[in-house]
Amino acid sequence: MSEKLLHKFLNDEISETELETLKASEVYRDYINIAAQTAQFQTPGFDREQLWAKLAEKKKAKEKKTVKLFLYKNMLKYAAVFVLLVAGYFYVTNLDATVSAGIAEKRSFNLPDDSEVVLNAGSKVNYNKSSWNNERVLSLEGEAFFDVAKGKKFDVETTQGIVSVLGTQFNVQSRNNHFHVSCYEGLVRVSFNGEDIQLPAGNSVIIEDGSIVARQEISGTQPGWMFDESTFENMTLENVVAEMERQYGVTITLDNLDEKMRFSGAFTHKNLEAALKTVCVPLQLKYTIDKQRGITIYGD
Amino acid sequence: MPTQDNVCEESVYHRVFHSLSASLYNFIYFKCGNVSQAQDLVQEAFIKLWENCEKVPPDKAKSFLYTVCNNAFLNEVAHKKIVLKYVEKTGPNINEQSPQYLLEEKEFEKKLQTALTNLTEAQRTAFLMNRIDGKKYREIAEILNISVKAVEKRMSQALESLRKEIKNI
Repeated sequence: MSEKLLHKFLNDEISETELETLKASEVYRDYINIAAQTAQFQTPGFDREQLWAKLAEKKKAKEKKTVKLFLYKNMLKYAAVFVLLVAGYFYVTNLDATVSAGIAEKRSFNLPDDSEVVLNAGSKVNYNKSSWNNERVLSLEGEAFFDVAKGKKFDVETTQGIVSVLGTQFNVQSRNNHFHVSCYEGLVRVSFNGEDIQLPAGNSVIIEDGSIVARQEISGTQPGWMFDESTFENMTLENVVAEMERQYGVTITLDNLDEKMRFSGAFTHKNLEAALKTVCVPLQLKYTIDKQRGITIYGD
Repeated sequence: MPTQDNVCEESVYHRVFHSLSASLYNFIYFKCGNVSQAQDLVQEAFIKLWENCEKVPPDKAKSFLYTVCNNAFLNEVAHKKIVLKYVEKTGPNINEQSPQYLLEEKEFEKKLQTALTNLTEAQRTAFLMNRIDGKKYREIAEILNISVKAVEKRMSQALESLRKEIKNI
């Protein structure tokens, strides 16, 4: 019974009368005394505000640590993703810009340094936009006229040779095995097959199969094709015909003819029949135009 | 407490800290008797609560904290005699007591403190949670994960032991 009351006392649930009952015993009086005295004590060292402040600090420190650990753990994954991203970026920014002129088309555009390029039909230029200011180099397939802004070296690479200039106007023609460079202004250097020549303004050079076949003086400031006329100097028939095909978008078949036959002259880009006549007549050739079979040029 | 409350929210976390830190501190202090150790253990427990805030709903925070804190305490190498020092809450009523009485009271206090140290951890913890922290048996039973009957037993044993030691029996 007393035990029960003791616990009631300790739980602060005892009534006055019950307490008096409890106090009747000396032992329980002692217990009450001890209990009461202990209740007077306080635990030292507790300052809620201070503890909260310390806690906040520790929390922040742990969060930083956790982030670091997290990074470290996944380092490989992050590295892989990073490498892919960087590679992707470099790939994309290093992709070359390609400009092309299709059949019966002429196309002009500016390079990042304001150099101007005019493409003849069926031609293509490839260059890297982002590295242009460091290195002016482009590759050419076909024919293009260049008006190069003053600055560092400017290179036109073709499969048959390289043309290097410094602020000038020139025309480069690279078709089949016919490599024809004309300089209208300034100075041009042509590198081909291990050789190097300089081409001053008003001069042009024709290189076929890796060697010079002709050097001649030229007049004018721009090539004929920019005025809608294709001019040829001792050009093989096959190349003349190929140019006509490009300018008009037609198919021309040479029937039993020597395609290496040479032609000097010009044809217009504006009238197919007139063009065909200007080529065929001097060579004593005839032509037929068939809607299905296209154009056939044959001998007499 | 609304069920949407999340301990991950700073305000909720602070509220939990405010209501439970003192008792938790006492609880650990009763066990280890070292101020800085108790402070560290309490901080550790609350940090763990923060780290696991997504998994611990506010109504489970108390048992989480006590469990974590206790485990942390057990992990610490503590094979030293625990000396508890207690500060008296209210000063004695000087006017009414004779010097003799005051001296006796001081003596008694000292004896009591020592005797408390000599209790088993189980007895001491339960006893002080009731006496100093003012917790009822039911709450003590809940926190210590024992029955109310077991709490009663520890309380009785504590008082018996204390009385015997103080009275030099």
